[in-house]
Amino acid sequence: MSDSFEPQIIAFCCKYCAYAAADLAGSMRLSYPSNVKITQIPCTGRVDIVHLLRAFENGADGVYVAGCMEGDCHFVSGNLKARKRVEYVKKTLAELGIEPERVEMYNLSSAMGPRFAEIANEMTARIKKLGPSPLNTKKAA
Amino acid sequence: MANASENKTIGSVMVVGAGVAGIQASLDMANAGYYVHLLDSSPSIGGLMAQLDKTFPTNDCAMCVISPFLVEVGRHLNINIISNSELETLEGEAGAFRATLRNNPRYIDAEKCTACGQCRDVCPVTAVNEFDCKLDLRKATYIKYPQAVPLAYKIDRSICIGCGMCEKVCLAQAIFYDDKPRQTTVEVGAVVLAMGNDVFNPSAFDTYNYANHPNVVTSLEFERILSASGPYKGHLMRPYDRQIPEKIAWMQCVGSRDINRADNSYCSSVCCMYSIKQTLIAKEHAETPLDTAVFYMDMRTYGKEFDKYYMRAQDGGVRFIRARVHTIEPAADGDLKIRYVRESGELKEETFNMVVLAVGLTPSKDAEALAKRIGIDLNTHRYAKTNDLSPVSTSRKGVYVCGTFQGPKDIPQSVMEASAAAAQATQNLSQARWTLTRTKELPPEKDFSGQEPRIGVFVCNCGINIGGVADVPAVREYARSLPNVIHVEDNLFTCSQDTQENIKKVIVEKGINRVVVASCSPRTHEPLFQETIRETGLNKYLFEMANIRDQNTWVHMHNPERATAKAKDLVRMAVAKAAYVEPLQQVILEVKPAVLVVGGGVAGMEAALGVARQGYQAYLVERSNQLGGVAHHLRVTWQGEAVAPYLKQLIADVQSHERVQVFLETEVKHITGTIGNFITTIASENGNGKTSILEHGAAILATGGKEYKPTEYLYGKHPNVLTHFDLDQAITEESDTLKNAKMAVFIQCVGSRTPEHPYCSRVCCTHSLKSALTLKKMNPEMKIFILYRDIRSYGFREDLYKEAREKGVQFVRYDPENPPNLISDEQNNLSLTVKDHILQRPLEIKPDIVILAAAILANENKKFFEIFKVPTNSDGFLVEAHAKLRPVDFGSEGLFLAGLAHYPKSLDESIAQARAAVSRTMNIVSKKGILVGGVVATVNSDRCAACLTCVRTCPYHIPRIGEEGYAVIEPAECHGCGICVSECPGKAISLQHFTDEQINAKTDALFSAA
Amino acid sequence: MIVADRKSLNEILDMVKSYSKILVVGCKGCVTVCNVGGLKEVQVLAASLKIGRKKDGQPIEVDEKILERQCDPEYVEQLKDIVDNYDAVISMACGVGPQFLSEAYPNQKFFPAVNTTFYGGAVSHGIWEERCAGCGTCIIHYFDGLCPIARCSKSLLNGPCGGSDKGKCEISKEVDCIWDKIVRKKIAQGRLADLLHITPAKDWRTARDGGPRKAKREELIQNG
Repeated sequence: MSDSFEPQIIAFCCKYCAYAAADLAGSMRLSYPSNVKITQIPCTGRVDIVHLLRAFENGADGVYVAGCMEGDCHFVSGNLKARKRVEYVKKTLAELGIEPERVEMYNLSSAMGPRFAEIANEMTARIKKLGPSPLNTKKAA
Repeated sequence: MANASENKTIGSVMVVGAGVAGIQASLDMANAGYYVHLLDSSPSIGGLMAQLDKTFPTNDCAMCVISPFLVEVGRHLNINIISNSELETLEGEAGAFRATLRNNPRYIDAEKCTACGQCRDVCPVTAVNEFDCKLDLRKATYIKYPQAVPLAYKIDRSICIGCGMCEKVCLAQAIFYDDKPRQTTVEVGAVVLAMGNDVFNPSAFDTYNYANHPNVVTSLEFERILSASGPYKGHLMRPYDRQIPEKIAWMQCVGSRDINRADNSYCSSVCCMYSIKQTLIAKEHAETPLDTAVFYMDMRTYGKEFDKYYMRAQDGGVRFIRARVHTIEPAADGDLKIRYVRESGELKEETFNMVVLAVGLTPSKDAEALAKRIGIDLNTHRYAKTNDLSPVSTSRKGVYVCGTFQGPKDIPQSVMEASAAAAQATQNLSQARWTLTRTKELPPEKDFSGQEPRIGVFVCNCGINIGGVADVPAVREYARSLPNVIHVEDNLFTCSQDTQENIKKVIVEKGINRVVVASCSPRTHEPLFQETIRETGLNKYLFEMANIRDQNTWVHMHNPERATAKAKDLVRMAVAKAAYVEPLQQVILEVKPAVLVVGGGVAGMEAALGVARQGYQAYLVERSNQLGGVAHHLRVTWQGEAVAPYLKQLIADVQSHERVQVFLETEVKHITGTIGNFITTIASENGNGKTSILEHGAAILATGGKEYKPTEYLYGKHPNVLTHFDLDQAITEESDTLKNAKMAVFIQCVGSRTPEHPYCSRVCCTHSLKSALTLKKMNPEMKIFILYRDIRSYGFREDLYKEAREKGVQFVRYDPENPPNLISDEQNNLSLTVKDHILQRPLEIKPDIVILAAAILANENKKFFEIFKVPTNSDGFLVEAHAKLRPVDFGSEGLFLAGLAHYPKSLDESIAQARAAVSRTMNIVSKKGILVGGVVATVNSDRCAACLTCVRTCPYHIPRIGEEGYAVIEPAECHGCGICVSECPGKAISLQHFTDEQINAKTDALFSAA
Repeated sequence: MIVADRKSLNEILDMVKSYSKILVVGCKGCVTVCNVGGLKEVQVLAASLKIGRKKDGQPIEVDEKILERQCDPEYVEQLKDIVDNYDAVISMACGVGPQFLSEAYPNQKFFPAVNTTFYGGAVSHGIWEERCAGCGTCIIHYFDGLCPIARCSKSLLNGPCGGSDKGKCEISKEVDCIWDKIVRKKIAQGRLADLLHITPAKDWRTARDGGPRKAKREELIQNG
C-alpha cells in the first residue's frame, strides 16, 4: 500500500460526550490526523444504519460512531442502540465483501480528550492499513 | 436597581460560592423569577466538583455532568457571575440587604477575552497548577481548566514578571496590567451562603510521610491522577517515578474522626464512598491486575445504592481491612511499608507501591472569616450552625446556607440543600418576583417560506488561533464558491461585540436567511450566535457552525495545509446542512399555577406549605385519615429538637393556610397531561367515593416510608423487645420498664443490609446513639450495649458516637455470619450471646430491654407509581432523574420527589428535600408559560404504520399510539435524543434540526470534494 | 400479520446482476410492522446494493419507493408512470407483492427481496412467533387459544406425542411443545377432562390440500 493514501473518515459524535471530548482534545492541543471529520448529533441513538451506509456509498474509507460510556448515555440507552446498528452495518459490509473493521463504535466521556485523539489515531491507522475503500479504487495511489 | 428602604422587598438575591450547591441555588432562583448575583472568590465557577474525575455510585464523569450546568449559568440572562470577588460586609436586613463586594483584579478583561490562549502560550513564567493539585504546571497567565466559566484567562500577578509578552500577542486587547481591586455594592433581598469547605491538608501527620514522600498522595490528588484531563492524562502512575503501581492502599479517616492531630472530630461523610470509587476506577485504568486495600474503621456506605457499590467492590477483589494505620514508612524503590494490627491483635506488615490518604473535609478559613464578618453563628466544628427543623436557615434572618459550608456532605445532599435554600430565600420575596429579572425584547420572526436558501458564511480568525494556522482568506473564498452562499467574510473575532453588530447589519442588508459561522465550538458559542441572528428576526435554528478551531487548528497546528483543507471540508459540510435547516417554532404552553403533593407526612406537608407560602395553590392528598405520617412516632431530632410540637404546628399551618387544600382518605386515580398542565383525578376512599379533578403544573411525590416490623429477636413475642418507634414512645410515656431497666441492648441493622433489604437504612445508628444517651440520662447506672456492624454516624452525628463512648456505652461489633442470639427463659428473662470481636469469644449478657434498630422500608405504592409512570429501584425506593445533580427531580418533566419514598433519611434531610422540591416546582409554576418544541421528534402520520416500534424503544416511554391510529409524541415531553427516529421502520418520525436529509447532506458534502 | 425475513444481500445482488437501473418497492403493511420491508428497509437495501455494485466496479442506479400495500391493485397502479424506467423491480413485500406487481405490469421483471415465513406476531420487540397456519377451519377454541395446527411440529390434534420433553419439542430445544402448554392450561383451568374427547381427523380441504384458495363475498362484489 502506498504511503500517500489519506483516508477519508467520518465520525458521528454525540453532543454530550464524544463531541465535547473532541473539543477538549483541542483545548489540550493534542494532535491527531486530519482525516477524521466530525458530524455532531444529539445522541448516538440518532445514528441510523442508513447514515452509515450512505457514508460508505459516498466513498468513506472509514466510519465511526462515538458516544458516551455505556451506562452513562445522557438519553439512557442511545449508545447501546447505536452499537447494535454499527454491528448491523459490520455484517452488511462483510456480506458485501468489504472489511467490517471499516466501521466502529466507540465510547468515551467528555473528560477524555486524550482518548478522543487516541481513537482518531487508531481509526486512521486501521484504515490506512486496510487501504482505500474498495469503492474508491480510482483513489488508490 | 431599586433603592433599599424599610418596607421595600428586593427581587434579587446573592449566592456566595459557585460550587455545585451555589450553581443549583442560582439556577433555581433565576428560573423562578429572581435576579441572582453569583459570587465566587475563584476566577471561575464550578468549585470542588470540577476537580473530580468520576462520581459515586454511578461512576459518571464529573465534568460531563457539571459542565452543562456551568454553561447554563454562564449564559443565564438573570445570573450575574461575579468571579474573583469576595463579600466584605452585609448591611440591612431580610428583604433588603446591601452587600459590599471586593472585586479582585483579574488583569484580563473577561468580557474581551476570547480564551484563545495566546497569552498563555507566550507567557515565560511557570507555576504549579493548583487545579491539578500541584502535580502539573501552569503559566502565570492561565485558565483554571478548559471548560471553565467564565471562559476567560487570568494573570497571576504574584508571579508575573511583567514582561508584556501577553499584552503584545492579545489581539482582543484584553490584557489590563493596571487592573486594581474595586469595591462594588449590590442590593439583594436574601443571601445564600454556599462557600463550601476545604480539603484537609495532611502535612501535619508526620507519621504518614505525606509531606516527604511523593508516593503518598491525597485522595484529591488521586482524583486528578485518574482524570483523563489530569496531569497524567488518565494514565494510572505514581508521582515519584511515573511507574504504574500494582498495589495501592487507601487510608481512611485522615483528618476526620480524629482529635489528636486533625482537630476534626466529625466524620467527613464522603470519604468511604470516594475511596471505594477510586479503587474501582483505578482497577479499570490498570492494564494489569491492581491490588487495592482500604484501611478503615467503619465502612460508612449509608446512602442510596451505596452498600451495593461497596459489595461490588468486595466482589471485585478490593480488600477492606478494618484497622487504623498509624505509620507509613518509606521502603525501597519508592514503595511504602504499612504496619497495622488486625482486630484479633495480630500484627501485620505490608508494602504498597503507593498510598492514598482519604483526606476529610475541613472548614474553610475564608468562609469562617466571612461568617464572622456578616454575623453568622458557627457550630463547634466551625461550620454554619443550623437547626434540624429549619435545616438551611442560619442564625441571621434572610441568610441561608447550603452545601458543605453547613457540614461535610456529598453532592446530592448539597444540591438538595441548595434548592431548599433557594426556596427559603425566596419565600418572603415573592411579592418582588419577576421585578428585577431581565427579558429580551425580540423582533417578530420573519417568514422565509418559499424562499431559496441565502446563506451567509462568517469565518473567524480567532486572533491567530485559526488564522495563524489555517489560511482563513482561502477558506473564506472557498465558501464563496459553495451553493446557496451569497455572502462571505472573515473576522478577527467573530464573537466580539462589534462583529455581532456587523453580522446583524449584513443579514438585514443582504437578506441572508441562513447563517454559518466557522469558528470555535457550538458547545460554547452556538447560543451566542443564535441570539444574534434571532435579534434580526431570524429563527435561531437557521444557523449552523463549523468547528474549525477546537477540532481543527488546535489539533493540526503543525500542519497548516491540512488544517486549511479540513477547514474547507468542515465549512462545506456546514453550508450543506444550512441549506436544509428550517425554522422551528417553539410554542408557549400556559402553566397551571398549582402543585399537587401526594403524601401527608412531614415531607408532603413541608412541600405543600412551601408551595403555598411561595404564593401558589397546593393540593395535598393523603390516603390515611390523618396528617403527619411516621413523624408521629419520633421523639426528637438527632440534635435533640422535640418533634411533637413542631409536627403539631406544621399540621395546624397546613390546615389553616388558605392556599393549601387537604384531601384525607383520598387516592390518586388517574393523571394526564404534561409539565405545566397536568390533570389529575382523585377519589375519596372514605366510602362516598367522591372524585375530584385537579389541574396543576407540577407534582411532588412524598409517599413516605415505614419502620420494618422485625421477625427476628423475639420481636412481638417478648414485651421488652422494642423497635426505635416503640422505644421513642416508651421514653415519652416514661414507662416503668425503662425506668427499672438495668441493662439495655441495641441491635443494629435489623432488616437492613440483609439479602432481602441490601441497603443501609441510614438513620438507625444515629437513632440508637441518641436513644442510648437519653437512657443514660434517665438512668446513668444503666448498662448499655450497642451491637453493630459499622457505626455510621456520618457528619456531625459522630459527636453522638463520641459522647456515647465517653458516657460508657459499650460497643460490640458483630458479623452478619454470627449475629447475636437472643432467647427468653421460662421466667421471661432475656439472655443474649454475641461474639465479641476484640475478645474473640462469646459474650453473654442479660438485658432487661432490647431495642432493635429496624430498617426503614418504602411504602408500597406499586399501583400509584404506575399511574405516574415513575420508576422504583430494586429496594422499592423512587428513582430520581440523576443520582448526583437532580436528586429531587424525576426523569419525567414536572414531577418531583421528597422524603422517605426516595431513601431513608433523617427528619432534617426530609425537610430539606421537601423544600428543595418546592423550589424545583417554582421553576415551572411561577412562569406564565413554558416553551416547548425545538429539537424534538415529530411524526408524519401518513407514513406511520402504528407498528409500536417507537413506543417500545423510547427510553422515556413518551410515544403512544393516539386515537387517530398513529404515533403521537408530545413535544413537551420529548427529550430529543432521536432514538425512535432511527428505529422507525416506516421513516415516519423525524428529529427536528437533525433530519435524515440534514445529516446526509453533511455526509454527502464531505465526500463530494471538488 | 405476515412475518417475513430479508434475503441475503448476495442472493438479491445475484438476482439483479445483469441490470443497471432498478427500483426497490416497499410495502407499508405487514412488512413495515415486522421491520423488514418498510421505507427504512428499502433505503437500507438500496444503499447496500449500491455499495455492493460500486465495489465490484459495476455501479447501479437504485430508486426507492413505498406503496401503501402491494396487495391491492389500486396501490400497485401508482407505479404505472415509473415502472418502465427500470431494468427490473425488487419488491420488499410478502410473496403477494411481486405477484400483484407482475400481474399489473406483465412486461417488467419483479424480484422478491424477502422470504415470507409465517403468520404471527411480535412477542416482544424484535422477536416474532408463528401463531396461525391458515388452515381454513379454525379450531383454536378447543385448545384454549393455543393452535396445535400452527404450533405443533406435527400439527397433532391429539397430543402430545412421545417427543415432548420437559415442555420442549423433540425437533429443537428452542421450540416449545404446544401440547405441553395445552395440557397445562387445561389443568390450570380445571378442564383436563376435555382432552378425553378425541378430536376427529381434520378435513384439510380448506387448507392448502384443497388446492389454491379463493374467497368471495357476494355482498361486496361490484357488478358492472
